[in-house]
Amino acid sequence: MIRAIDEPSGAAENVPPLGRAIVITSGKGGVGKTTTVANVGTALAARGARVVLVDADVGLRNLDIVLGLESRVKFHVLDVLEEKASLDEALVRDKRNETLYLLAAAQTREKEDVDTAQMKALIETLRARFDYVLIDCPAGIEMGFKNAIVGAQHAIIVCTPEVSAVRDADRVVGLLPNDWRPELIVNRLRPQLVRKGKMLSVDDVNGILRLPLLGVIADEPNVIVASNRGEPLALDPTSETGSAYRAIAAKIAGEDVAAPVVREPSGGLFAKFGTLFGGRG
Amino acid sequence: MSGRRIVVTSGKGGVGKTTTTVNVGAALAKRGHKVVLVDTDIGLRNLDLVLGLEKKIVFDLVEVIEGRCQLRQALIRDKRFESLAMLPAAQTREKEAVTEDQMKAVIVELAESADFVLIDCPAGIEHGFRSAIAGAAEAIVVTTPEVSAIRDADRVVGKLQAAGLPFRLIVNRVRPEMVKTGDMMSVEDVCEILSGELLGIVPDDEEVIDTTNRGEPIVLDETKRLAAIYDKIARRLGGELVPFTNLDEPGFFGRLKTLWKVG
Repeated sequence: MIRAIDEPSGAAENVPPLGRAIVITSGKGGVGKTTTVANVGTALAARGARVVLVDADVGLRNLDIVLGLESRVKFHVLDVLEEKASLDEALVRDKRNETLYLLAAAQTREKEDVDTAQMKALIETLRARFDYVLIDCPAGIEMGFKNAIVGAQHAIIVCTPEVSAVRDADRVVGLLPNDWRPELIVNRLRPQLVRKGKMLSVDDVNGILRLPLLGVIADEPNVIVASNRGEPLALDPTSETGSAYRAIAAKIAGEDVAAPVVREPSGGLFAKFGTLFGGRG
Repeated sequence: MSGRRIVVTSGKGGVGKTTTTVNVGAALAKRGHKVVLVDTDIGLRNLDLVLGLEKKIVFDLVEVIEGRCQLRQALIRDKRFESLAMLPAAQTREKEAVTEDQMKAVIVELAESADFVLIDCPAGIEHGFRSAIAGAAEAIVVTTPEVSAIRDADRVVGKLQAAGLPFRLIVNRVRPEMVKTGDMMSVEDVCEILSGELLGIVPDDEEVIDTTNRGEPIVLDETKRLAAIYDKIARRLGGELVPFTNLDEPGFFGRLKTLWKVG
């Protein structure tokens, strides 16, 4: 059993250590937050860890679809917070992993309906029962974002190699608590475009963000297919993307994993890029 | 006569709202219309980057609303097009800095001296969405052929209908070869689920990544296949009847024919 490693066991021997709550966020939408949560969560659970995935995108939930669990969702986060259902009733067990659970978002409610203090308490409750609580943050930096980060101790920033995604990610890092050390996943990299100088490289992206690099995921059409089918690639032993997600999970679990190998030199074509963030604004 | 006020929205982020706003707006401007693009994504603005005008920003939408400058002072003219201007969002403020009524007043004022005001909506359906649609009289819903994007678009369509805004659909990032193999939903499927009228079909094209990073709208280069597609969308928006069959990828309609045969 993989245990969270950042919580000291403390003096009280009988109190089990709390799990880690990690928010997956980005600022910009559509960069792959939900896909990342589903795949990293699946990979962590496949290692034997107890994992719960929390969809914090009230009104626009999608994590249930990506996991293929949409028809099994009976209750959601707001039902639990409003005591219309117990936590056990609302947790949906994954089809493939015994130790993986989903807590779905409400689809027909508003983000403003979630009470921040209650959300924090809920994440704390989940940390007592699970090794990892992965929180799927909505796009943007409004109320939904604030409620998604409130119970977490750690953040993973997902960013694609696009100037707009990098700018939004940079903004989000600035909004996280000062004592956090968020880690970066560069998603949807197309090495052949980087080689042609038509896409930012991992170094270009991280030259701006300057975060510890947790992983690099290449762009492949299979991700769309897998999402539409509700079958995370992390379980596919033949998929390179799946193996990249498994490496990220291993790193989160505290294993010493070699740095991601997808590194491409930038052609110097993005000289303009460096000035984007220094301007007025 | 006052110009058209159109919000470009989607629910899900990253489906191409900003790219659509820029390219449809630029295509309209190329056809001689007077166009203003408004970035309402306060705190996470990007329209300026996609247009390549980020260094020219002096004032922004919030400063206009707070009376710190005149509306015309905040407008940035795009010199590559005769009649295209942009109103940037504030980057270091919150969406709550602007109320729905304030946004509506700005959009209505812009429409007094423009043919088209295109409003780039933030992702989500929170306050930023509500103020972005407040000043609009019609909507373009952008979606991709993915289950999650369509579910989010469906939520947004419900909200637009509740607000009394008519909408048309742009299906973005279609990959005909994946539609053919059954790995991607067809445009017909998408329109049927959302029961909306189709305004445009835009194929997935890696050129968009490059031109976005460079801040050069793809419609600037008439040799690009997407330039012709955005021009057709602009014509349809202007009221012309432009058929979908001539230019769009044969794959979509290949699939449609098979569906008819089966059905």
